[in-house]
Formats: sequence, structure tokens, C-alpha cells
Amino acid sequence: MKSIRFFIVVMILLATSAPSLAQKSTVYLSVLSTKLFVVGAANPQTGIFYRSTSDTGWKHTGPPNIRAFGFDVHTPSRGSLLAIASGNGVHQSQDGGKTWKITTGWEITEVQSVVIDRNDRTFMLCTTPYGVFRTLDGGASWRECNSGIREKFTSSVIIDQKNSNLLYCATDDGVYRSENRGDSWQRTGLAVGGGRVVVQHPTDSNTLIVGTENHGIYITRNSGATWDKTEAGLDHSTFYTIVYDPTNPQVLYAGGYVTGVYKSTDGGQSWVRKNDGLTTLNIHSLAVDPTNGNRVFAGTHGGGVFESDNAGSTWRSAGLHGSQVWTISVQPF
Amino acid sequence: MKHRTVLLLLLGLVQYSTAQVADRETYLKEFDQRVAYVTSFYDTMQTAGYYQAAVRYARNRDVARADKMFAEMLREPRGDMFWMIPSLGAYLVGKDKMSAETRALVRNAWKTYAPYRGDTENHWCMYYAALYLAAEQWPNLPGSEWYNGKSSDENLREAREYLIEWIRITTTIGQGEFDSPDYFPEYAIPMILLSHFAKDPDMKTRGTMMADYIFADFAAEHLDGQYIGGFSRIYQPAVYKPLLSGGSAFAYLYFGTGQPTNSGWIVIPALCNYRLPEIIYSIAVDRSNTIIHKERKRVRNVIRFGTEKNPPVYKYSYITKDYGIGSLQGGILQPIQQHTWGVRYMYGHPYTTIFGLHPYWSGYELGMFFPEEVKTLIADVVASKGTYNNPDKWTGGSPFERTFQHKNTLLVLYDIEPGTTTEHINGFFPRNLEERIVDPSGWIICKAGDTYVGWFPLQEYIWKEEFETPANSLSDIGRPQLERVKETGNWRLRSYKLQNGYVIEVRSKSEIGSFDNFKASLRKRIPKAALVPGKVSVQYTTLGGDRMQFGFPDKRTLNGKAIDLSKTRLFDGPFLSADVGSEKLMMKYKGMKRVLDFKTIKISE
Repeated sequence: MKSIRFFIVVMILLATSAPSLAQKSTVYLSVLSTKLFVVGAANPQTGIFYRSTSDTGWKHTGPPNIRAFGFDVHTPSRGSLLAIASGNGVHQSQDGGKTWKITTGWEITEVQSVVIDRNDRTFMLCTTPYGVFRTLDGGASWRECNSGIREKFTSSVIIDQKNSNLLYCATDDGVYRSENRGDSWQRTGLAVGGGRVVVQHPTDSNTLIVGTENHGIYITRNSGATWDKTEAGLDHSTFYTIVYDPTNPQVLYAGGYVTGVYKSTDGGQSWVRKNDGLTTLNIHSLAVDPTNGNRVFAGTHGGGVFESDNAGSTWRSAGLHGSQVWTISVQPF
Repeated sequence: MKHRTVLLLLLGLVQYSTAQVADRETYLKEFDQRVAYVTSFYDTMQTAGYYQAAVRYARNRDVARADKMFAEMLREPRGDMFWMIPSLGAYLVGKDKMSAETRALVRNAWKTYAPYRGDTENHWCMYYAALYLAAEQWPNLPGSEWYNGKSSDENLREAREYLIEWIRITTTIGQGEFDSPDYFPEYAIPMILLSHFAKDPDMKTRGTMMADYIFADFAAEHLDGQYIGGFSRIYQPAVYKPLLSGGSAFAYLYFGTGQPTNSGWIVIPALCNYRLPEIIYSIAVDRSNTIIHKERKRVRNVIRFGTEKNPPVYKYSYITKDYGIGSLQGGILQPIQQHTWGVRYMYGHPYTTIFGLHPYWSGYELGMFFPEEVKTLIADVVASKGTYNNPDKWTGGSPFERTFQHKNTLLVLYDIEPGTTTEHINGFFPRNLEERIVDPSGWIICKAGDTYVGWFPLQEYIWKEEFETPANSLSDIGRPQLERVKETGNWRLRSYKLQNGYVIEVRSKSEIGSFDNFKASLRKRIPKAALVPGKVSVQYTTLGGDRMQFGFPDKRTLNGKAIDLSKTRLFDGPFLSADVGSEKLMMKYKGMKRVLDFKTIKISE
């Protein structure tokens, strides 16, 4: 009986302590620029910043002045493998940010995004104004893989969660799909161009959602064969960022040019604006804490980063004032 | 100071003497005098700087102070490629004289300071030339000793690959940031450094050849320190005060033209052993014969809104001993700072130019070339280049502007979309023209010394007198400052008609005789224009009797024959010739010849 009581007490303690454990996620973000950036000038520090979700002060890692557009954190290695997409190419760290190396050469420049395969850390993709590039050997060599892509400016690429051979990318003329790790691409059925960001449903890999320049948001439920425009509640047309709440895939957030933050609670069918507390409405990045769906971060163009503890109902500044926060990611460690 | 005054007096004589082509011995002697003058500003300057340190090392004077300067400057390196080039240049000039501690500081900076590579051709050229030389200086080091994590070998290989590719594309389809009076130094200095300091003989030769190449490019379109023609990039105020550009400082040092300068840009080159070949110098200064010079360049990398990465740019220049008029074909060929056409002349420094433009700006233009968000790019650019979205700006290309030049006659047409930025065109007429006559015939007829310029507006217009901003007059250190209170302002022609254009005729006294004769000749030449949306055209018979017909955007006919710009060679003129794709440039001047063959990396004479 004593042991049962002890077990119950332990379970209660564990249960009550779970939220505080969950708060120890790490927020990473890339600051592309700050106000008054000039090449060659004495510019304020930019690049990758991070902090614990239970903390308030940002720490910097990696090179400080490289025009960091995006980054990826390899979740299975708990962030030991990091990659930055920057003006200088793809920077990689194998030791959690202690040391860095640019793994790309002169021909890969102004890198917009980078992704690391969760299941194979040697497989990475990056997107550039000149298309998609790929490494299969952890960055030792990169090669262009744009066969089939018409307009090469590529903002975003994703690796299917279940099938690493299957990729999607958002380019200036829409969304493309590759079934062979980028050896060749086929344009999906999306009728509009201006693809800016493509994301995949956390559990239903056939469902993808794309944000576009000037054309709004589209959803496919058949891996890109057909797309439906989602318009209910949306008063804007340019979206740079869309995220699913990993804890509840019916919940999505979207942001873009002077949009503020839009939230959907029905899988993207309809949207409502959630701007209470935002002092700038130009949103470039969003992320949801995978351990606490109420905690949401919004990166702005020139207004730093904002944080919400109530799933977007209200926002407060989380610092980095004046920064263009291009990408945000929250990691469960 | 006394020493510098003596130098300046000597140079005054030199300037006078170099109105003619100097023989080689005289040229080299005068070059050394100019080097002494330029560096004289820096060898006693006490504020810390790489130029100040470099001159001290080169003169073996006050080396301890130079070491301290390096220590001070390297406490917090900044400036990206604009740090890499001057700091490494000063290091290479002074490394044999600086202390071991200073050398170690420099080495450490290349380990700890991560410069941004930049986003355009001049950035990459400076970055990789500097990285190449640094990797040669510090070979066999592991990645942990370099800011980018790459080993010396990896850095050397990457920099070499970039430089060779840049040379290849430049000598096959033209430079992207071509003929930029303001960005000339950003190409000249890295090549001069490679020429002097590269250890690899092939790269050393490549550096020498590319320095020759860009100097020859400038020389063929040069008039008294000024770059002639249309340009990829130019800043205000150099666009209306041409000798303020960095390129003019190089013209002073290497051609002996323009005005004495204390520009820091030329300090490191002045301390290097690169010497301009005699043929290039001769091409630059001999204006005894009129020149028609054509070029093909390329548009900077187009990353959005286009399927061709580097569309062609066609350039046409006509240069006499008194003036030059040059143009690009029009359209958006470069973002922000394009100069599509202009007349520049010998008379009346500092305002030696007349030109016009449609002051256009848009996220579309910026999005063509920059990877950031199209909708926020204007704000991003304005943060550093404040004139970009100013309707009164004096730089920039427009998709609604096209030109057609034949010899010293230029037709410019506009078919501007309603609602675009902006709904007017501007013309720049300097304050110091001797005459600016609004003739009843419709011509605006100007006299600038021995150069006469006629401008026939195809639509109604107004004049605005305006002054420069004080910031402009304060920015040019060591140059003549404006007498702002006493001077009248420059004149802006403005026309608000969307379907618009003008005809430009330029002649010199030696070409047409008196100014009265020029006026009388123009009055007999009235253009015929059709100015309706989508159908803008003009017909005009030049003072030389050639019939030009021009339909916007690209229908050009001369004496009944269609002009095909696509056949333009890479260089085509009396001094320079090169075919597209050739990787070869031939220079000719009187009995001299110099061929740069980039395929074989050989110079032949």
C-alpha cells in the first residue's frame, strides 16, 4: 500500500512538473539584417540567435555578419548539427555551434533556406535564387539539382516526413515535386506562381499548404495533384510563412506582408487575425513550441521577435528590436 | 605640407604637359610624381588607417606608428570585403617591415573575423582576390585557422575558381557592373594586387591582364579624367560632378588626367608595381581623332522576373577632344544606379555634363536583382541609398526608357505606364553653361566652352532651379568646395507627359564652327514624333544628314536600314576589338598592338 501511495505521489509530481519541463524548449532564429544594414559598414550583429523558452535573453552563435536567411536544426541530434543558409553559402556546425565551416563554394550564394533530412544527416538541400542544391555526403560536395524547374528562384524546400526521396519546393512559378531526391522535378497542379513557402501537415503527408506572393494560400490534400485556395477570413495575399501547431494540426498560423498573424483552427479552412500586441504587422517567420502549443513566436521585418503564451491571442515583444527575423524554429530540447 | 605644394606645382606642369601623349620615359617619371603626391597625404596623417600604415611601411618611415595603427584597426575589424582589400593590401606592402606581433594580429584577424561575401560582382571580386592572396600568404593551415572553417588549400582553390570564372564570363559576354565610374576601384585594386603579389605565376599574369583589360575598357571611353557614356552604376553627386568618382582618381594616377586627388582608393595601387602599358595610356589620352566605340556588356544576374540570367547591354559612345556622348539601349540593365545616357565635356568643372532620365523605382526592379522580399526591398534599399525613391533623383534606369544613338545624335523615347513611379522625366542642365537658350524653334541650345548641345523636347516641360544638398558638398574631402551662397543653382527640365522623349545633338566648335552656326543648323532640323500610348516614335534627320527612325521600345532604323544591336561585338572601335565569346582583347594604337588572350593566359605585343 505504501509503495502504491509512493507511486501515486511520484506520478502526481511528474504530472505537475511536466509543464515546466516542457518549457525548456530552445528557440532559434535567424536575423537577416537590422535597420540600416549596408554591405561593408559597421553593422549590428546579425545571424543566428537562440534562447531557452524559459529565458528572455538571446545568445548569438555562428558567424555574426553573413546575411542569414534561414537555418535548420537537426532535431534527432538535439542540435549538435546545425546549418545556416546565408549570403556566404551554407554554414554547418557539427558540435552544436562551437565551430563552423562553410561547406558550399563560390557558386552557391544568397542561400534562402536549408533543410537537413531528419533520418539521414548526410542528406541536405538548400534553396537559392539560382535554384535547389543538394548534398548527399554531409556537405563535402554540393550539386545543382534543378532539372524540370522553370523559374529557379526557390524560397523553400521540404523533405517528406516519411519518404526522404520525396521533396517539395516553392519557386517563383509555383510548387514542384521530386520523387528522386531532386534528380528531377515536376510542377504540381498549383495554378498560380509566386511560391514563397511550402509546409507539410505534421501527420498527413498528403496534405501540404503553400503561401504565395500576391496569390494567397493554397492547400492540397493529394500531394500536390490539385490545390484549393483558402480565402475565408484572409484579407491579404502575400504570405511568407505558415506553420502547423505540432500538438494540434488543426491549428495553423500564417503571416506575410503587412498581414499580422492569421490563425486557423480548422486545418486552414478559415482564418482570423490575431494581432493584439503586435507593433509591426510585417511578419516573416512563425514557430510553435512542439512541447506547448500555446507558445508561439513571430518574427517580423524590422520589428524584432514577438511571443505569445496563449496561442496568438495576445503578443508581447521578445526582443531583437529593429531586426528582420527571417526564420524561427522551436526545438524540444 | 610645403613638400606637397611643390609636388602640386610640379603636377600642374605635368597636367599641362600631358595634354599631349607623353613618351614612356616621361610618363613613368610623371607617374612617380603623382604617386608621391597621392601618398603625401597619408604618410604624416596620424589617424589610424590602412592607407596611412601602408605608406609608412612603403616609405620605411615611422613604422612603429604603422604597427600601432594596425593594432588599433584590427581591434574590431569591420567592413567585409572593404576591410579585406585595404587591410590585406597594406599588409602585403608592409609585411617585411612590420613587427612579428603585427603580422600575428593580421593572421589572427583572418581566423576570427568573418566577412560577408556580398551580393554583387564587385563584392565577390574583392572578396575572392583578397582570399586568394591571403591563402597564398598562409598556406597549409587547417580550417580551424580560418574564419570560414576551410583550409588554406580549400580557400585557395575556391578563390581561384571564382576569379577564373569571373575573368571568363567578363571576357566572353562582358562585365556585369560595367564601366562604373564609382566602382572602377573595386575591380582595379584587386587585379593590381594580384598582379603584384600573387605567387602563382598564372594568377599573377591573370591579374595583370585583367588590370590591363579594365583600364583599356576605361581608356577607350575616357576624356580628361571622366568616364564617357552610359554606366552600370554611379552615385550622386558624381553623376553631375564627374571628377568626384573613384574612377577619376585612377584616371589621375594612371592617365595623368583630371584633377590631383587625395583619394584613398589609389594609395595601395600607387604602392604596387603594376604600370599601365604604354598603349593603354596612349588610348586614354590621345583625342586627336574622333572615336566611335561600341561595346557589349551584360546585365547583372537576373534572379526574378526574367528567364535570361545575363541579358546583353549595348553601349555606344562618340568621343571627340572636346566632348563625349554615350548611351546604353535603355530599360532596366542595373538596379538603382544606372546611368543610361549622358554628354560629358571638357569645359566647366565640376559640372561637365548634361543628361536625362525617367526617375523610376519599384520593388519589381529591385526584385530582379536582390533576393530579399520584393515588397520590402524599397524600404531596405532606401535605408542605405536614400535617393532611390526620390522623384528628383539623378540616377537609375527605367523600363519605360529607350535610346537610339548614331554618332553624336541621340534619340530618347519614353512610354511610361500610368501610375508608375514616377510620372515625369528629368533633364540635368548645369549652372555653369555659358548659354542655355530656349529657342522658338523648340530646341534648347547650350554652350559649354567649345561644346554645343542641342536638346529638343518632344513634349511640353518646365524648368526648376535647384541647389545641391549641403551633404553633397561636404563629402568630397580635399576637393574644391561649393561657394553655395554665391552660385546659382543647376537647372532641372521636367516634363509630365507620359509619352515623351527628346533629341540630342552635340557638336564642337571644331566640328561645326560657331555657336551661331550650330543654332542655325538646329533650327532646320525639327523632329517628327508620334506620342500616343503604345505607339511612341520619332523621325529625325541629323545635322550630319542621316535619317533616324525610332519606335519605342526597340525599332531602330538608320537611313532606311534596321539596326540589329544583337550583332554588337564585345569591343568595337579604333582602339579595342573583341568578339563575343572570344576571351581575347586586341588593343591597337598607331604602330602599337597588345593582345590579351585569356584562354592561353598570354600577352602578346
